[in-house]
Amino acid sequence: MDRLRGMNGTVHGGVADGRPSLARDTDMCEAILALSGTTNGHLAAQGFATLARRTGTGFDGLADEHKKITFADTQARPVPVTTSPEWSGSETGGRRYSAFTINVEHRKPWHTLTGRQHFFLDHDWMHEAGEALPIYRPPLNMTVLFGEPGIGEGGEQGITVRYLTPHSKWSIHSEYQDNLLMLTLSRGGPTIWMSPADAARAGIRDNDWVEALNRNGVVVARAIVSHRMPTGTVYMYHAQERVVDVPKSEASGRRGGIHNSLTRLMIKPTHLIGGYAQLSFAFNYLGPTGNQRDEITVIRRRSQEVDY
Amino acid sequence: MTKVMAQLAMVMNLDKCIGCHTCSVTCKQAWTNRAGTEYVWFNNVETRPGQGYPRTYQDQERWRGGWELNHRGRLRLKAGGRLRKLFSIFANPLMPSIQDYYEPWTYDYDRLFSAPMQDDTPVARPKSLITGENTKISWSANWDDNLAGGPELAPADPVLRKLSDQVKLEFEQAFMFYLPRICEHCLNPSCVASCPSGAMYKRSEDGIVLVDQDRCRGWRMCVTGCPYKKVYFNHKTGKAEKCTFCYPRVEVGIPTVCSETCVGRLRYIGLILYDADRVAEAASVADEKDLYEAQRSVLLDPNDPEVIAAARAEGIPEDWLEAARRSPIYKLIFDFGVALPLHPEYRTMPMVWYIPPLSPVVDVLSGTGHDGEDADNLFGAIDALRIPIGYLAELFSAGDPEPVRNVLRRLAAMRSYMRRINLGREPDESIATAVGMTGERVEEMYRLLAIAAYGERYVIPKAHAEQGARLEESMSGCSLDYEGGPGMGGPFGEASGMPVPVAVENFHALKDRQTTGALVDPEDRQNRVNLLNWDGKGTPDGLFPDRNGRKQP
Repeated sequence: MDRLRGMNGTVHGGVADGRPSLARDTDMCEAILALSGTTNGHLAAQGFATLARRTGTGFDGLADEHKKITFADTQARPVPVTTSPEWSGSETGGRRYSAFTINVEHRKPWHTLTGRQHFFLDHDWMHEAGEALPIYRPPLNMTVLFGEPGIGEGGEQGITVRYLTPHSKWSIHSEYQDNLLMLTLSRGGPTIWMSPADAARAGIRDNDWVEALNRNGVVVARAIVSHRMPTGTVYMYHAQERVVDVPKSEASGRRGGIHNSLTRLMIKPTHLIGGYAQLSFAFNYLGPTGNQRDEITVIRRRSQEVDY
Repeated sequence: MTKVMAQLAMVMNLDKCIGCHTCSVTCKQAWTNRAGTEYVWFNNVETRPGQGYPRTYQDQERWRGGWELNHRGRLRLKAGGRLRKLFSIFANPLMPSIQDYYEPWTYDYDRLFSAPMQDDTPVARPKSLITGENTKISWSANWDDNLAGGPELAPADPVLRKLSDQVKLEFEQAFMFYLPRICEHCLNPSCVASCPSGAMYKRSEDGIVLVDQDRCRGWRMCVTGCPYKKVYFNHKTGKAEKCTFCYPRVEVGIPTVCSETCVGRLRYIGLILYDADRVAEAASVADEKDLYEAQRSVLLDPNDPEVIAAARAEGIPEDWLEAARRSPIYKLIFDFGVALPLHPEYRTMPMVWYIPPLSPVVDVLSGTGHDGEDADNLFGAIDALRIPIGYLAELFSAGDPEPVRNVLRRLAAMRSYMRRINLGREPDESIATAVGMTGERVEEMYRLLAIAAYGERYVIPKAHAEQGARLEESMSGCSLDYEGGPGMGGPFGEASGMPVPVAVENFHALKDRQTTGALVDPEDRQNRVNLLNWDGKGTPDGLFPDRNGRKQP
């Protein structure tokens, strides 16, 4: 705190009397950097000392006690953070971060009920669902549950296929698959990959405009027909840019949608477990599984005249 | 008597290429982000099997690039000699059209900000950079990425078409790999031989092939002559341009942009010594399948005292000879014997070599439930699998499967040998001897291929200041700084200031320029002269406004 007062100045009067000033945006940045073990080596060292008392194991040499990163440092150039007990990996000595190296090398117990890596979840709800141990669950039957057509049904008017949304080989979300250069090195806009057999049945040719439709929404994209794809499944790579080359849909008359237009989160009771060992509930992305990415859709060739 | 010359060469390890296109993007940003070169990628990465860029460039029956032997067994340009050139000089049928590359486009990004209030979010639709009109994108610099459109497009792959029908059927099993390509900086460059203006040359000190922008008259015979289609026509300057092996970088000892930024660290750069007097003889061997060995025979051993003495006699500096001895390229071609030239049958003696990928073989093995890293399994598969061996042989050894098979056996041996060590078992010398190596050699190869420290991958001697005059640098500043060139730092260039990227920012400017009849748009800020840099000599274009539409003298 004294250091922060030294950098930001002190507030005089009012409720914050005597506290470090947060008057400017850069003051707040300094505060964040000063209060995190990853940017304030003193805190990291203190954290590891506390952790050592709790675990009875040693973490000597991990923290860089005298390293302090200021906002000015981060403006000058990217600065590597220091190893800190807030994270499970070590970057000490220029090492590349890898998860759980502190747990393995310094015998820090895992954040589980047993302190070890374990797959068994001894919770009533998990037992009730029959999922106390990892288990294979087939995709939900969308036909029975939601009245979608069965997989493999259909023909010229559109066929029903599995719809998956994997990550592409060169992107994290729209970065960097959607800049002009990368679009020039691919198909230049949203695409859906499908197998030659499915394409033939639905009368779709490579680079045709298609629409994929289910109870959740509609996507307009161009088809990529490739023998890399298994029959019965289509891919729409994750998070292709929604403001580049997305025409209006015939089905809805509205903008054509993105890969998530066809997906919807489905909650199951085990997602709501909280307050039990490593399981805690937070209202965010519900559940550890990507069950909503196991969808089905009807895909069909649309009018090749597209309207933006 | 041998005439020793030095050549900067590259090797790419295809097993490591993940097709991320970082090399292409950084190269484009550095070299071809200018008007006139929108469609140009000095470095591109294509998925094989696939048509490549420009499409089907390997079909020399159609494009007639490279060399062939005449009936007397002498080399001649496949596209024909001088007389034939003279007849076709104004209308050359052997040129890829812009559609064979691709029609460059951008998006109407401005719409995202300027669109009026409406029910749906605005989108940027594609606009052709050729016509400025709305377009449906139907071909790109990498249209068949990851086998996209395979059933329709891949059968036109000239390499695949050379293989038998049975192999074509096996292609259904979907094997693929990436092939990154730059200019080959050949020892026997057919582009240089094709140039009617003498504008193309091979630098004597390091073998880099360049276009003299002052002498180029834009005949484009080099585009036809290059079988790799790695010389491009800048339609704004009206001159040819090509990969420069990033000579401003390598002259100071740092690797090319594509190598520096390669995520997979699959590129190696180093020096090779060769016997310039034997190039033509080696390029003329009768049987195409002998070309790989013939090319190897031209390359000299940098540790041989006779070679060293001959090199000194030619004035090659000591630090260059030292670099040649440390060259990773020499090690990969000779000591480990795993690098092969791309399309030796074009008879140009390419100097960017490749380590063919073992991964498709491992994938097939693993896919059928075998241990893909077991030496016996791998050796068996390499012998038995016709694909991808046949395909790789068409790329790297004029169709002869033997050299490819030998390389893959060595790579397989390295995998198995090192896996035993990794698993804490005793090294098995027999794995190494099975491929004619020793365990020690295998570990050295492993170090160069897998650990590959920066200083070992790139051994690039600096250019010598005392050779300055030979380095083709113009006396006044940067040699890249010609009108429309990548330097463009000068006051009279297209952009006084930063190079302008081919993107949104200049889409409208480009469109305006393309739709006016005038050569330059007087309103275009890029044509203004930066008076701060003007040296007071002459009156460059744009210094004074036009009078009656005519330029001031």
